[in-house]
Amino acid sequence: MATSSAKEASFSPYEDNGGTNLAIAGQDYCVIASDTRQSRGYNINTRFAPKTFKLSDKTVLSTAGCQPDGNMVVTRIKQHMESYKHAHNKEMSTPAVGQLLSTMLYMKRFFPYYSFNILGGLDKEGKGCIYSYDAIGSAERVPCLASGSAAALVQPFLDNQVRNCNQVGKPRIMAASPVSHLSLDQAIKITKDAFTSATERDIYTGDNLQIFIVTRDGVEEQVHPLKRD
Amino acid sequence: MFLTRSEYDRGVNTFSPEGRLFQVEYAIEAIKLGSTAIGIRTSQGVLLAVEKRVTSSLLEADSIEKILEIDSHLGCAMSGLTADSRTMVDHARVEAQNHHFTYDEKISTKSVTQAVCDLALRFGEGAQGEKSIMSRPFGVALLIAGFDDDVKEGDGAQLYHTDPSGTFVSYKAKAIGAGSEGAQTELEQEYYDGMSLQEAETLALKVLKQVMEEKLSATNIQVASVTSEQGFQVYSKEKLQTIVDAL
Repeated sequence: MATSSAKEASFSPYEDNGGTNLAIAGQDYCVIASDTRQSRGYNINTRFAPKTFKLSDKTVLSTAGCQPDGNMVVTRIKQHMESYKHAHNKEMSTPAVGQLLSTMLYMKRFFPYYSFNILGGLDKEGKGCIYSYDAIGSAERVPCLASGSAAALVQPFLDNQVRNCNQVGKPRIMAASPVSHLSLDQAIKITKDAFTSATERDIYTGDNLQIFIVTRDGVEEQVHPLKRD
Repeated sequence: MFLTRSEYDRGVNTFSPEGRLFQVEYAIEAIKLGSTAIGIRTSQGVLLAVEKRVTSSLLEADSIEKILEIDSHLGCAMSGLTADSRTMVDHARVEAQNHHFTYDEKISTKSVTQAVCDLALRFGEGAQGEKSIMSRPFGVALLIAGFDDDVKEGDGAQLYHTDPSGTFVSYKAKAIGAGSEGAQTELEQEYYDGMSLQEAETLALKVLKQVMEEKLSATNIQVASVTSEQGFQVYSKEKLQTIVDAL
């Protein structure tokens, strides 16, 4: 009888499809943006795969990482929001979706969604609000945030430009404060600059930039070109 | 009164040829044997007042509880087989906590009432492999009071009445229990829009006094309010004494 050699079972259900998200909250607006490139290793699967989705007139959800996982998160949140509407006769507020997403992620504590989510929108007072998550549902409300493949490039830029970190003579905005002091125009400019620069350095970011602007009038969507190399 | 009902009033899941469920109707009758409970809604908050039947001088009146907290912004008063309400209030509490846990917000009064009414109909054999939890309809009616925070200013206060058939209706003022007929007539005459919570307090006690068999005192009633600032609060013995004295 032949001696059987040790076999290693391999199970790798996760894939990193890259992509970057960014969000900036202001007094009466929230900007949520992401690039539209979807990659696999050195290949680009498609140049236009949106990963930011409008959930309601007040709420937008952005995902990056494993595309199917992100899609699943969005689908399940949408389903839940629909049944909430029937059960309670009102639209879910952004903080409520924020808490729901946290519980939903933690429910998959031992087989997490490989998805780097940002939830953005307006809270009950009409202020901009952003929720930051880790893969297993730890949530925090922040004034600005980057997630995904170029998060490490974009976050320090936001800390400096939005929260005035390491700037002399400008009031610093603490990481725990809910909103920034920027105007909507400034926020959009910073968003575009952040993605232009991230596209230069990160191979998983590029092609198009999708910006969602949430104000009390609803959600406006813009698409801008990014470098395709 | 019920002579003709002998054929169809045994099973809880059988309609009579006229289309009635007698066991449910009997359960509604059971409430009319219970002690009187009153709820009054004002823009400032909701007032709940109940009668306690202190049947013996040796009975500890404090041990009778007919107004219970569901959540910090929700309370309920009951009449009928009050023991049946434990299951319902328990269910309401779990539902309220679940909502808070999942959505980080207070459950609306209507939603918690809906949840209680879903339970009210879950008697009988239990379908779809679901385990039966109750063999008969619940013999209790509830007045559910709450204060919702995400509605228009002045619209927060809510009062719902639920009965064993699982029906729920919103009221400005409602009386249930043995003295409910007289009390409801009195409420209809005395209630007016723009009433303050304090006026509701006086009205509730005045009405209770009229319909109670015993003489109203601080020991044989229980009063609670639900307001935006304080949430659900049961009146202390001292507070009750002062308003009873002022009556």
